[in-house]
Amino acid sequence: MFKFLIRISSFLTKEWTEIFRQPRLILTLILGPFLIMFLFGLAYPDQNRSLRTTFVTTNPSAFQEEMNVFTEAYSSTIIDQGIETDKALALSKLALNETDLVIVIPDAPFETIQQNQQAVLEVYHNEVDPFQIGYIQTIANIYVNEVNRGILQTVTEQGQADSGSIQSSLEEAITKTQALKQAIPPGDANTATQVEALEKSLTAAHENLTTFRTLSSGVLVNPFGVDIKGLSNVQFTVTGFFAPSVIALLLQHLSITFASLSIVRESRSGIMELFRVAPITAFETLIGKFISYLFFEIILAGVITTLAILVLGIPILGPWLDYAVAVVILLFTSLGVGFLISLISETDTQAVQYSMLLLLASIFFSGFFLDLRLMWEPIKVLAWSLPATYGIRMFQDIMLRGSTVSPMLFQGIALIGIALFLIDWFLLRRRMEG
Amino acid sequence: MKNKKSNGTAENVVETQDLTKAFGEEVAVQSLNMYVPRGKIFGFIGPSGCGKTTTVRLLTGFYEPTSGTARVLGKDPVRFSKSDREKIGYLIQQFVLYPELTVWENLNFAASFYGVSPFRRGRLHKLMDFVELAEDSGKLARDLSGGMKRRLSLAATLVHNPQLLFLDEPTAGIDPILRRKFWDYFKELQEEGHTLFITTQYVGEAAYCDLVGVMYEGRLLMVETPGNLRKKAYGGDVIAIKTTEGTRFEQRKQLESLPFVHGKVIMVSDQEVDVIVDDASTAIQALLEWAQEQKLNVETIEEKFLPFDDVFVKIIERETAHV
Repeated sequence: MFKFLIRISSFLTKEWTEIFRQPRLILTLILGPFLIMFLFGLAYPDQNRSLRTTFVTTNPSAFQEEMNVFTEAYSSTIIDQGIETDKALALSKLALNETDLVIVIPDAPFETIQQNQQAVLEVYHNEVDPFQIGYIQTIANIYVNEVNRGILQTVTEQGQADSGSIQSSLEEAITKTQALKQAIPPGDANTATQVEALEKSLTAAHENLTTFRTLSSGVLVNPFGVDIKGLSNVQFTVTGFFAPSVIALLLQHLSITFASLSIVRESRSGIMELFRVAPITAFETLIGKFISYLFFEIILAGVITTLAILVLGIPILGPWLDYAVAVVILLFTSLGVGFLISLISETDTQAVQYSMLLLLASIFFSGFFLDLRLMWEPIKVLAWSLPATYGIRMFQDIMLRGSTVSPMLFQGIALIGIALFLIDWFLLRRRMEG
Repeated sequence: MKNKKSNGTAENVVETQDLTKAFGEEVAVQSLNMYVPRGKIFGFIGPSGCGKTTTVRLLTGFYEPTSGTARVLGKDPVRFSKSDREKIGYLIQQFVLYPELTVWENLNFAASFYGVSPFRRGRLHKLMDFVELAEDSGKLARDLSGGMKRRLSLAATLVHNPQLLFLDEPTAGIDPILRRKFWDYFKELQEEGHTLFITTQYVGEAAYCDLVGVMYEGRLLMVETPGNLRKKAYGGDVIAIKTTEGTRFEQRKQLESLPFVHGKVIMVSDQEVDVIVDDASTAIQALLEWAQEQKLNVETIEEKFLPFDDVFVKIIERETAHV
């Protein structure tokens, strides 16, 4: 047992010394991920994309006054670039990327509406990215709702103003009905009932009209508002949201890169021949390497997390212990992937290529950018075979939602990690022990 | 080819019987029969690609033999236990240690993976002194010269004090002075009780060995002491006779007919001839007497130690002619 510990310690010292002999590498490993997160935050400030919009109408002088209904609607997202009378010219501006949206207002829209027809606004864009097209569709729908609401509000305000004379007439009618009720002979029960019903109807109409007049036009047109609240009760910035994903992805990538180069380099140098003849087993070699890299990367993860918290203000709402457990299991499994790459690669270049491919797969399939719930079910198998997928979920839960490590996620990633360790052991044994 | 019988398993640290290794159709080592007695330096000599490294790999358990058997320290190398492996040191041809580690760190790493106790500073310092690297202990391995790298590798091979050392071409690619120094190290190690199995392409190094195995195209041609190797190559000891007036044809014919002289007399120059005899120590006196009878004025007469390069070429020529 004592010799076992001495043998595995050989790798601990060796790997650490080799890494610490490269101060620039350490600096890159610590500052690199932090800078990426920092730049990411700068690159995507917390605001929606504003769209430069050109309006087209063939006869602007015809409804100059009503034009603000169109140009001021949803103004935080729509930046008015002016009115064009030539649709073709506006579309050429769109093609030249001088404007983002062209909204064509139909001729005489109010007349069309008065004729009981919908006036259709044409919205043109020049996007190819499906997500941007989706964004424009959403913006266009919100915009049309805003325009409709603006028109409704104007009409409502006009109705409220006009209803003043109707209310006076109703009050007069109620007074006359009450006088009529007094004049009905006591024996004429039928007429009395009818007049009473009329009085009630007039009173109700009067009350409704009063309500209509006293309510603000904004409430009348938009009786319901919305107040969205998350369970964690914390407002996240874009950087804040992506920080757990970036940390998970980087830790996975660092582990894989370190481990993937480790054994392949030794195979190439020829020292594996010495290992085969020496009294060291594949198990001792693998354990030694796992422990040395794991310790180093735990420290690295600690520094990156501290920087993210102190400098970028990223919170960890959940328990720290759970965060530590999630980091260790993510690193362990990622190292397993790295050693597997190292054992199946013939050269350093091949190992680096495999690592890069895995990074690419992780960016696309781990839920880093796109929600996993949107993914086609069979592809989810690939997604859930990547350590980063579990890492991102666990880190998001702990850091942003304030929950503990999900047992399901922990068991999933641990199972993959153990399976990889066993495969690595088998392959290394075959290489070292013949 | 069986070159020698075992002289008792207890004394031999390496024994092979018809040891053969083939890679597909290509036979790298063919029917190897040899033994290495404990405490000796066994030189394994042959040209590049003759099967020396394959033999070492078979004896260290790196390769499994295609047929035949090998016993190293009384065990089948393929089934070596950890404790068996701790008794063996293996120096690989190329430098395989870590360039980013210093001399000391590399040595420390080797000590750890051989399971040497953590209280080993004294031993490591002693080893660095032995290979004369003590002053360079803080140097990165990548900054060492070729010779220093070989010395570091040797120190790493000795770190766990193995009984048996397999040194695969330890002197390849280094200058003659350093090569000589390496053989001094090997002699010291032998005096400490280690057994050394050394492969080399430098035929001249055979002179430093107790036993020499000559390898050619996967076959072990012979295992002999360096002296016997010469005898085997030429059919006996070679004596060079230099006379002031030279020898006549009849005199040379007479020389050839002497009972202790083998083969033809070789004319080296007008005054000098080479004679092959059974035993140089007794033949010199007999030849002097014969010269006196012939009234020949002998200027010099001595045993001729032919370079091992010539010996090796002669052996190869003889053996290939046989085949």
